[in-house]
Amino acid sequence: MKYDVPYTGLPQQVAPIKQDLLAAFERVMDSGRYILGPNLARFEEQFARLCGTAFAVGVANGTCALQMVWQALGLGPGDEVITAPNSFVATASSIALTGAKPVFVDIGPDLNLDPARIAAAITPRTRGIVPVHLTGRPARMAEIVRIAEKHGLFVLEDAAQAVGSRLDGRPVGSWGNAAGFSLHPLKNLFAYGDGGVITTPDESLRDKLRQIRNHGLSNRECCEFWSGNNRMDEMQSALLLVHLGALDQWTERRRALAHRYHELLSAMVETPVEGPGEYCVYQTYVIQAAARDDLQIHLQEHGVEALIHYRTPIHLQPAAAQLGYGPGDFPVTERAAGRILSLPLFPAMTYAQQDQVADLIHDFYQQRPERRAEGQAICESTV
Amino acid sequence: MKVPFNYLPQQFGDATPYLEEWRKLAASGEFTLGPFVESFEAKFASYVGARHCISTNNGTDALILALKAAGIGAGDEVITVVNTFYATVGAIVAVGAKPVFVDCDERFQMDAEKISPAVTPKTRAILPVHWAGASPDVNRILDLAEAHGLAVIEDACPAVGAYVDGKHAGTFGKLGAFSMHPLKPLNVMGDGGMTVTDDDALADWMRKYRNHGMTDRDHIDFWGVNMRLQPFQAIVGSRVLDTVADLVRLRNRNARQLDAGLRQLPEFVTVAERPARHVEAQQLYMACFKRRDQLLQFLIGRGIEAKVHYPVPLHLQKAAAALGYKRGDFPVAERQAEHLITLPAHQFITAEQIDYILENIREFYLGTQGLGKLEETITVGR
Repeated sequence: MKYDVPYTGLPQQVAPIKQDLLAAFERVMDSGRYILGPNLARFEEQFARLCGTAFAVGVANGTCALQMVWQALGLGPGDEVITAPNSFVATASSIALTGAKPVFVDIGPDLNLDPARIAAAITPRTRGIVPVHLTGRPARMAEIVRIAEKHGLFVLEDAAQAVGSRLDGRPVGSWGNAAGFSLHPLKNLFAYGDGGVITTPDESLRDKLRQIRNHGLSNRECCEFWSGNNRMDEMQSALLLVHLGALDQWTERRRALAHRYHELLSAMVETPVEGPGEYCVYQTYVIQAAARDDLQIHLQEHGVEALIHYRTPIHLQPAAAQLGYGPGDFPVTERAAGRILSLPLFPAMTYAQQDQVADLIHDFYQQRPERRAEGQAICESTV
Repeated sequence: MKVPFNYLPQQFGDATPYLEEWRKLAASGEFTLGPFVESFEAKFASYVGARHCISTNNGTDALILALKAAGIGAGDEVITVVNTFYATVGAIVAVGAKPVFVDCDERFQMDAEKISPAVTPKTRAILPVHWAGASPDVNRILDLAEAHGLAVIEDACPAVGAYVDGKHAGTFGKLGAFSMHPLKPLNVMGDGGMTVTDDDALADWMRKYRNHGMTDRDHIDFWGVNMRLQPFQAIVGSRVLDTVADLVRLRNRNARQLDAGLRQLPEFVTVAERPARHVEAQQLYMACFKRRDQLLQFLIGRGIEAKVHYPVPLHLQKAAAALGYKRGDFPVAERQAEHLITLPAHQFITAEQIDYILENIREFYLGTQGLGKLEETITVGR
């Protein structure tokens, strides 16, 4: 289906830098060096600087960014890691596939891990905490890091959706012991296919991650430990370098559109707000709405591509059956799962497109005043 | 004269068609699996004669995916050959299983006769490698696997274009894995891999596991991973696949010329047999040489980019310490590791360049005087 307001608009977004991208593409192609070359090294250096961390390691995708950190730590059966149940599945699967147990705690009104609930979930088996900066909004890192330090836990930030987000002026990716980022095409900094990055302030961890990424090799002839292949290629690195030059502009545009959405919509639905000290990049613009499913259909039918991230919380997925959770275990997450709706928000979006979305939402609640009332009541009850 | 090992700037010298394809891809916005990946998978499956192809991010992931699909995990043993790339073992360890090595034969391939003594009650699978683009005695390995009740999973990473009795490498076992690393016969501008199988249920499981265990966007059946092939690399792979038969033919022409020249030096050089029933992909042209290290330096000094794949067999790597092997356990692989050299013989190497390599090797062993004599003998012999 062709939408008037699609969920993203990548071709329009990159049109102004197209010549630079094509030139970068051709340079890599002509070089004959396609893996682990100078473009990756430059990208890593610039990405680390962007995040205010000492080191960055470019990898194949955001999922393996998380997996590689656990591999470096030797996470495995008998271990537990605390995380949020309202994320993309990779947050939990990267823990579960090592044989360790993901232990979920519920979220706060910011839809991120609630620091107040963490202490109760810590056991002698807990090895780490994975706060997720969902939608590009930073989790409450100062409190989370304090808890982790007190209990001697490793903090792995799941920053898959949050390149450029900051809390109290400090970028995400620089708070924990390590952070995993995704550069998937639907992310605010994106590759043309899959891509990911790990940041860390720890040089020995960086060295280990580089080896994990490339078969456990310390050089071509010496294999220190058995490992796989999680490399980011030169082509993606070169294109990402071009994108890095445009990122600030893209982020500012996203933020301007988000603030405008807030003005247009906050009387009808619950819109995301920035808490004190937060700088959100709005990788996803998620409202919470009454009669969400009907609203989504209404938008879709009128040419607006609205999506849900994510309809089923991880603890209720069939994959999580063995963890022993059930409905009602995480009420804030479960209630939000029934109300969240991701509206189109992308740097190339026009105000006219945004108005179209707002008008449709307005019409929806005009035609269904009872729903709006229901929505408002819920909004008020959460304040 | 220069004889380079890397041919990528020549192979991808003309950017135009790839830029065109890339524009199409960028306009489509299909960066996560999608039609370009699907059409490449269908094309590759039909090329090798498999029912299903599940593409992956690289050859290592293809092996991991195959092992996982076969149900190999903690407590299991997998028999493989000791002279292979690190990733063969990395994949076995990644699924939690224990690699059990066997020695290779004079063709650098898994020695099938070493398999039975390595079988224990914990053995679940045999993982033969089509090392350097050639093939082991796959039919013998299949018979042994059947006798012992084991699965065969082929590491055909270097072997697109290789056949035994007209059947493509990687299609003999339950599952086969391939790589499209830039220095493989079928290559892309980065990493890429494929797993093939004829089994519908395994294919179905692999497609899900590769993409987070998803049945659709909202339903996660089981914990999975992301090992997706990049769509751009699918496009490159698809174009290169059209040329594979030709480039393998050129590599074999070069290999035959090297074989003939090196067989004139039987005191110094051991050349592998080339069984008539095998088509080799010649991913790497390897032979064993006396005074290897000096010859290697000599050739490099003459502008010939010769290499060694690899000087240390896997059981003697630091990573293998916990497996409990020692020097002397695999005498053939150990001897080859001290003597083998990989010579440039890829599709862009000309007959003149091969002559230049051979002249230099003759000069190294026979001196310039001996070189003249040998030329004479060869001429008379003809």
